[in-house]
Amino acid sequence: MNYKDLIDQLAEKTGLPKAKAKERLEITVSVLSERLSEGVGVSVPGLGTFTTEVKDVRKTYNPHHKKYMMTPPKRLVQFSPSAGLKGKLKFKGESNE
Amino acid sequence: MSEKITFKELVEQISKQSEQSRNSANSFIHELVQIIESGLSANGSVSISGFGKFELRWMNERSGRNPQTGEEITIPGQNKVVFKPYKALRENVNRPYAKMKAQILGDAQPSTSIPEQDEPSPDPLEEDIFGENLSEHDSNEENPFIFERSKPEPKKPEEPLFSEPEVPKAKELRPEPQPVNVLSPADEAELAKEVEKNGQMKWAYAASTIVVALALLIVFYLMQNTGEPADMAFESTPDEQIESVQQPQLAMMERVNLPDETGDISGSDSYHINQGETLWSIAEKELGDPFLWPWIYQLNKDSLENPNRILNDTDLTIPSLSNPENLSSDQKEQIALGYLSVYEWSQTHQPDEAKFFLWAVGEFSPDILDQAAQQVDSGDLAFAKIR
Repeated sequence: MNYKDLIDQLAEKTGLPKAKAKERLEITVSVLSERLSEGVGVSVPGLGTFTTEVKDVRKTYNPHHKKYMMTPPKRLVQFSPSAGLKGKLKFKGESNE
Repeated sequence: MSEKITFKELVEQISKQSEQSRNSANSFIHELVQIIESGLSANGSVSISGFGKFELRWMNERSGRNPQTGEEITIPGQNKVVFKPYKALRENVNRPYAKMKAQILGDAQPSTSIPEQDEPSPDPLEEDIFGENLSEHDSNEENPFIFERSKPEPKKPEEPLFSEPEVPKAKELRPEPQPVNVLSPADEAELAKEVEKNGQMKWAYAASTIVVALALLIVFYLMQNTGEPADMAFESTPDEQIESVQQPQLAMMERVNLPDETGDISGSDSYHINQGETLWSIAEKELGDPFLWPWIYQLNKDSLENPNRILNDTDLTIPSLSNPENLSSDQKEQIALGYLSVYEWSQTHQPDEAKFFLWAVGEFSPDILDQAAQQVDSGDLAFAKIR
């Protein structure tokens, strides 16, 4: 399902105009993304928990240039689906790879 | 990070930003979740622009074990929900680190390049954060020495009578081909903590972490070098004995070099030491590169007893230097001699650290190191030769 379908369905279900639904979705996403960028985890009931993990500075080796480098730290977003979501989708469409 | 906000807080924030009631924000999210779920179940993927993509991934049947009984079981194939953050989200989340670039540390093979060539980044933030990260053990002023160009630290308040440069510890001097020494996993953990606490960390805490990190490094290093007893940093007594014999010779050798030195300096200034200053800070301020502090020491050896402790309200001779990035070979020799003097001093006062200064001598001028080779401790020399 792409973004457009998502907004269409959202508008339909909430009874909002599409533009409004899109705007709200954007706000929701930006709030989530803001929290995550502060390193704060967010859990959304029925969906799952978003957390971040910091990958530390580490020493890496570039085999091509034969050089060691200090790779800057990096924050990764992690998502763990809620038990409900996981359970419901567990055996859905077993054929798709 | 374990900090989390509750769903209630999330709804509150969303309702505030979108000027809707909490109820409607709440139901909006519930609708969204349901649509995501149905979308996943229908198409196997849901994409939210600017955020990420939820996908179903089929995991094949595999065998595993019951962790409690050890009994072998077959785990049936099942769907896994994965979330792939899009670029916008990844970038947003990584904003604090965005300005940081990978820093090249050195070649795997011995190289003749001098660390001075590293471009100090023009962006203070980059230097800042990265400096802090890099310098797990020098996040104080302890390392006038590190060549990885870590950030010169904020000066700590000092006692009124004295100013002292950081005790030269120079762990970073460790040759790059032995990465284990430079960044052991334990240190990395240490470092992670510092990244998080960046800024708010209290000095006392910083000091203790550093001491731990240093101790770890030394232990590590010793473990790696058990084959070369001469290199043992802790065997200070033999070093000192040798040293007492060597010192006159060393001093003589330097005097021979001294005439050169005065001729080489294009000009020198007088500098009045203010309260709280260190050789390190003066070198940074006046020469543009804190790593050149031994040069100042070299020029003022007669008036300075201890390079770590300089007296308030005295005058120093400072070499004038316009471009610290571009040192002439004469200037490099001067600096190497400075490091040699510091090495000499360290041998009597802090034998554990002495060899790092000798290493720096070779870094600035291999010739001076060769000249001094006869007079210095063989273990230290072996260390100084590692590149």
